[in-house]
Amino acid sequence: MKHLVILAVLFFSFGCTTAVDPAPPVAAAPPATSPVVPAYAAGEPRVVTLDSQAPLITIRVMVTHGSTSEPQGKEGLAGLAAEMITDGGYRTASGSMTKEQLAELTMPWGSGARPTTFPAARTTTFFFTAPREVIGRYVRDVVRPMLNEPLFEADELDRLKNERLSAITALRTTDLENLGLAAIDQYVLAGTSYEHDVIGTHASIPGLTRDDVIAFYRAHYRPENIIVGISTTDQAIVNQVREAVSSVNRDATTPPPPAPVVQPAAFTGRQAVVIEEPNAPAASVHAGFPIAVSRADSDFWPLYVANVYLGTHRDSFGQLYQKIREERGYNYGDYSYIEYWAGRPAALFQLFNQPREQQYFSLWVRPVKHEHAVHMMKAITYELDQMVRDGLTPDQVEASKNKARVLYLNLAETIPRLISARVDDAFYGMEGRGFLDTYLQNIDRVTPEQVNAAIRRHLRPDNVKYVVVTSTAFVQPTVDQLRSNAAVFGKTFEDYEFTQAKLADGTTVWQIPEAKVPTVQLDAAWANYPLNVREVTVGHVNQMFAGPTMLK
Amino acid sequence: MRTRLGSMILLVTMIAGLAHGQFLPYPVHKRTLPNGLDVIVIETPEFKDVLSFNTLILAGSGRENEKGRSGLAHLFEHIIFRHDHDTPQAYQAAVESMGAFNNAYTWYDVTYYHPLTFTSNLEKLAALEGSRFRELRYSERVFRTEAGAVYGEYRRIASDPSLRLEEILTDLMYGKAHGYGHSTIGYLDDVKDMPNAYRSAVAFYNAYYRPNNAVVIVAGDVKAEEVFRVVEKHYGPWVKRPIPQQPDPGPVNGPKTHHEEWPSEVPPRVGVSYRVPAFSPGSAEGAVIQAMAEIMGGETAPLYRKLRFDDQVAIAMYVDSNSAAGFDARPLSTDVTVAEEKYGQQGRPLLNRIAADVSSAFEGLASFSSQPDAAKRLESIKSQLRFDILASLNSPSNIAENFANYYRFTRDPQVFEKVAAAIASLQPSDVDAFAKTHFRPQNRVTITLAPKGGAK
Repeated sequence: MKHLVILAVLFFSFGCTTAVDPAPPVAAAPPATSPVVPAYAAGEPRVVTLDSQAPLITIRVMVTHGSTSEPQGKEGLAGLAAEMITDGGYRTASGSMTKEQLAELTMPWGSGARPTTFPAARTTTFFFTAPREVIGRYVRDVVRPMLNEPLFEADELDRLKNERLSAITALRTTDLENLGLAAIDQYVLAGTSYEHDVIGTHASIPGLTRDDVIAFYRAHYRPENIIVGISTTDQAIVNQVREAVSSVNRDATTPPPPAPVVQPAAFTGRQAVVIEEPNAPAASVHAGFPIAVSRADSDFWPLYVANVYLGTHRDSFGQLYQKIREERGYNYGDYSYIEYWAGRPAALFQLFNQPREQQYFSLWVRPVKHEHAVHMMKAITYELDQMVRDGLTPDQVEASKNKARVLYLNLAETIPRLISARVDDAFYGMEGRGFLDTYLQNIDRVTPEQVNAAIRRHLRPDNVKYVVVTSTAFVQPTVDQLRSNAAVFGKTFEDYEFTQAKLADGTTVWQIPEAKVPTVQLDAAWANYPLNVREVTVGHVNQMFAGPTMLK
Repeated sequence: MRTRLGSMILLVTMIAGLAHGQFLPYPVHKRTLPNGLDVIVIETPEFKDVLSFNTLILAGSGRENEKGRSGLAHLFEHIIFRHDHDTPQAYQAAVESMGAFNNAYTWYDVTYYHPLTFTSNLEKLAALEGSRFRELRYSERVFRTEAGAVYGEYRRIASDPSLRLEEILTDLMYGKAHGYGHSTIGYLDDVKDMPNAYRSAVAFYNAYYRPNNAVVIVAGDVKAEEVFRVVEKHYGPWVKRPIPQQPDPGPVNGPKTHHEEWPSEVPPRVGVSYRVPAFSPGSAEGAVIQAMAEIMGGETAPLYRKLRFDDQVAIAMYVDSNSAAGFDARPLSTDVTVAEEKYGQQGRPLLNRIAADVSSAFEGLASFSSQPDAAKRLESIKSQLRFDILASLNSPSNIAENFANYYRFTRDPQVFEKVAAAIASLQPSDVDAFAKTHFRPQNRVTITLAPKGGAK
């Protein structure tokens, strides 16, 4: 009976008032009958397909708005709206479908048939998968009504909000790797709508209401804001899916607000934030700066090859990994990125469906002993600086291209990956020259000259922001080292297990094996490299996800 | 047997309203070399130019029985990549210059090496892989460096209570008598001391890295005969040896309980685990273990709905069927992440009540068949399992890995068909029987974890 009541509420709420929800839920959209509304005809969704005969069909529905479209003070709303669509029930021809009933309906079609969502900064994507034999019914009974007639059950909102708040606590205390990543994400793009995390904040989430969710849905879930990917070219199926998303909020009488255009605040010089995490068993170091390159740009591929050389994600190939982990054993992994890494940190290969126009370059070093953090900051900046100054040799470019070709095998491994990539292509306006479709040719075409020119154009080692997450006892020593700008060494000769000898005159000297001399020399170069950090901020983990800025 | 298998599959297809032929849509070829090495080839020509070349070692952390030396299987996974390190023939440099994605993982029963490359590299890659498995060469210095990297890996994951929960569970359920009595990465003290574990590590390698304890599984755009030829050439000289017998894990002697205090503010956790029998793919008990994740932990499960949606005391709940499938009897674990707000109001009694809800739900499965809609729900779950397995067969690497996961138990190339048949024939009474035998207090270990200082 409960569902009937909620259905009635929703039904009336679109008419403007209800006894239960006194606030008008759709402030942005005046009633359709208003004579002052200018004529507005909804646009059409973009549809991309893939010719596959696999037994299961993958459907991706991307809405080109995410957390960067949230009004101030309503951080976390885009993701909650998405979860309310998959979990908040929807209207059907014969009544309503709760999330429990939906789970029962979709279960026989495999786990992927239960719709899920992937909320991100610039986009919100819904994942649907079903066996080919039932796809027509699946689109009719699940995809279409879920997107067109969501009920946004109020009870679900309370549950999801509580889960969000718990997830923030967990992020602060148990997930140190993601904490450092969230910090660099926010710090580099501070002052923009990217500064708050998709998850929302402790300040904003309690105040989010069902009306907020409905308003976000009505404003942004529009046919012209939707990109659909379908892993079949069967026209009957494609047309059915196209119709399902074309009708989303089609009765809206005003155009949707434009996607936010973000210009990150320019910053010069180097600055750092040291975040105290009392529980941190080791430190993490992240660094970054905005770059004006996306997949759609011609400099993307040369920069991609350069980045493979410097720091291929979770691979031993990159220079950072080779020098920091392989040669010196500092830690587990040291990588670099020219794009926001969807699926971070655990995914071995980048996931799709978290595209952004605004990208930033980043370096990750984690975990390291607390006392090595500043030495590592020097090491990665020195290595970046060297790469920009000297460029790559033709041999290095060739080896990196070879590695990049191998990465293609994983990036393009499965049908869901292929169709997800095509959705991103549409986001970037790359239809017909898709990321994976042209990947191997693009890698083949890259020349050493292009690589070195792209490095010089886009990588600016003089303007870097750093984040160090470290435990209480190491906050002040880290800050002092950064402010003094003095040499900071990492591993000692004892750490390297070198031996000592006594000379004839009685003085003791270290014996360094000849093969280790270059290691020690580079260690000294790192140690003496001046970071020149002009501004050091200190924060506490409890200030993160507290308010709309990085450290409330 | 054929007829019976056919009818089982028909049963599933009727449920889902679908028509299917053989379950695995690719031919499986098998050859056993004189040294006992099984070679499996799965031809998937539509994945053009792709070669997934995998070596499965049938030993993981569950075979580490030496006290104070946990984590050796995982350490050796690292060492194997250092074959001929610092020499002109260095394995890693050679793979790198050839061009391959090269990685591996270690778990309680297996260590799995899974390079991925282009088919044109078949001969070259087989030579490199064969060499590192049959004649591994590395220095003690390399050993110590890798031991340090493993310590880094430990620190990376140690801030999450999950590792500590696993350590407590494995210790309570197995003690030191069996290799399942510790986590795969090993205890912190053992990991710290790994640089000094050289001799133990060599002994582990000599005992378990043997062709008669390994399987080569190749999938992709390949021809079986060509693969057999190159694998025989490069893995053929690998010398076989008898594999050590595994000690019996002994009884759990439950019920056992433990409360752990955690130094920082984390969401509290409740873990309830039962010892379940050694996995046998194609058996009714095996199918019950596979279905349990959904029967108890799926969105349609009464327990899940009670904790997550009705009482809203859990923000996450997971029943882990995957790590319940073992060569020996394994824990089947339910992990509940508790809502902090509710814990703040109710404190420790809430954790105990959740634990009681979980154990009574599991032990209540003895009368599963009399639950309302049990038969209907089980049919849905069976259909879901079937489509989830089909969905997982979406690339040569995934086909090979999923095959390996089942094949390792019985070495039967038709194992996918047997698994599908066992799932199809699963009945509510099978769940009753399984629960009566295994979901009993004497097989149960319960662990709660909450921030130090109790609820605020």
